[in-house]
Amino acid sequence: MMRISMKVGVVLCLLAGAIAVGTIVSRRAFAAPPEKYLHVRVNNSENKETVNVNLPLSLAEKILPTIHQGNLKDGKVTIGDAEMDNVDLRAILDAVRTAPDNEFVTVKSDTEDVRVAKSKGNLVVHVNETKKDGEKNPEKVDVTIPMSVVNALVPTDKREIDLVAAIHALADAGDTLLVTVHNATEEVRIWVDSNGSST
Amino acid sequence: MILLTKLVVGAVGTIVTLGAMVCSEGFVSVRVQEKHPGGTHISIFAPALLLNGGLRCVPSEHLRDAGEQIRPWMPTIEAAMQQMGKMPDLTLVGVTDPSEHVQVSKLGGSIVVDVDDENETVHVSAPLRAMDDAVQQIAAAGPKL
Repeated sequence: MMRISMKVGVVLCLLAGAIAVGTIVSRRAFAAPPEKYLHVRVNNSENKETVNVNLPLSLAEKILPTIHQGNLKDGKVTIGDAEMDNVDLRAILDAVRTAPDNEFVTVKSDTEDVRVAKSKGNLVVHVNETKKDGEKNPEKVDVTIPMSVVNALVPTDKREIDLVAAIHALADAGDTLLVTVHNATEEVRIWVDSNGSST
Repeated sequence: MILLTKLVVGAVGTIVTLGAMVCSEGFVSVRVQEKHPGGTHISIFAPALLLNGGLRCVPSEHLRDAGEQIRPWMPTIEAAMQQMGKMPDLTLVGVTDPSEHVQVSKLGGSIVVDVDDENETVHVSAPLRAMDDAVQQIAAAGPKL
């Protein structure tokens, strides 16, 4: 009788252990990915003003499809033929996506240098204002957009910009510094990470 | 004596239940402190259910314009409220300059707005659920479609 009780006890313990391990494994396997935040920080040294905006991407993803204003509907912006001026945006993006890392556009002028390139899975745009006489810090703009986001923005065969798909791609893309702008008085930084505060 | 005990228990039970119902929606907190000498200090800490009940007492003609304007944005507001309820606590917007500090945050199921400038300090905290109810009431007061 004692031996049977012990066997039942051992079986029950093993079962309990298996259930506990199964629960932990399934929780880890199905754990929700961490929330991603779009951060915007503007520092103005002239008026000593700092603006910080922290927007959870999931919030933007839920809100955008509910806004129906002008060309924005269901989280997509429709681009008319006139606005596109017969430019096939999809074809251009397809060409950029399939092209190897390279510089696509380089413009050097008296007022600014512009560079558009594909580098390490990102579409990169650099604009450097040329230093004028007496100017301390000419404006410098750096934009880095993961190609997955660029692809998501423009769905195949449609004249639409899919903002919701782009936000979704942005959330999947990992921590990314999207935009930096520096000039004599202002510093702007836009980035995505999993940190709820903009520190 | 037994009857008296039953009455007391019944009364206490009713008060506790009513209190729980009133507090169930959370509390709205408003604090305004003017900084100049002798400045006004206002502090309101009220159950959100009472404020929403108060909104029901406002004649609908006073809310009609607001209701009409807010109605097209109801899906957006509902989506935002629902999603914000799921979000962890965070500061949504912060603006700091030498004379003013403004912060809008989500804190424990409430939206909290803090303003600290040269003249006054303002703190407003309202539960998301109560805000949602209030917005629904205002939208319902708009002209019938």
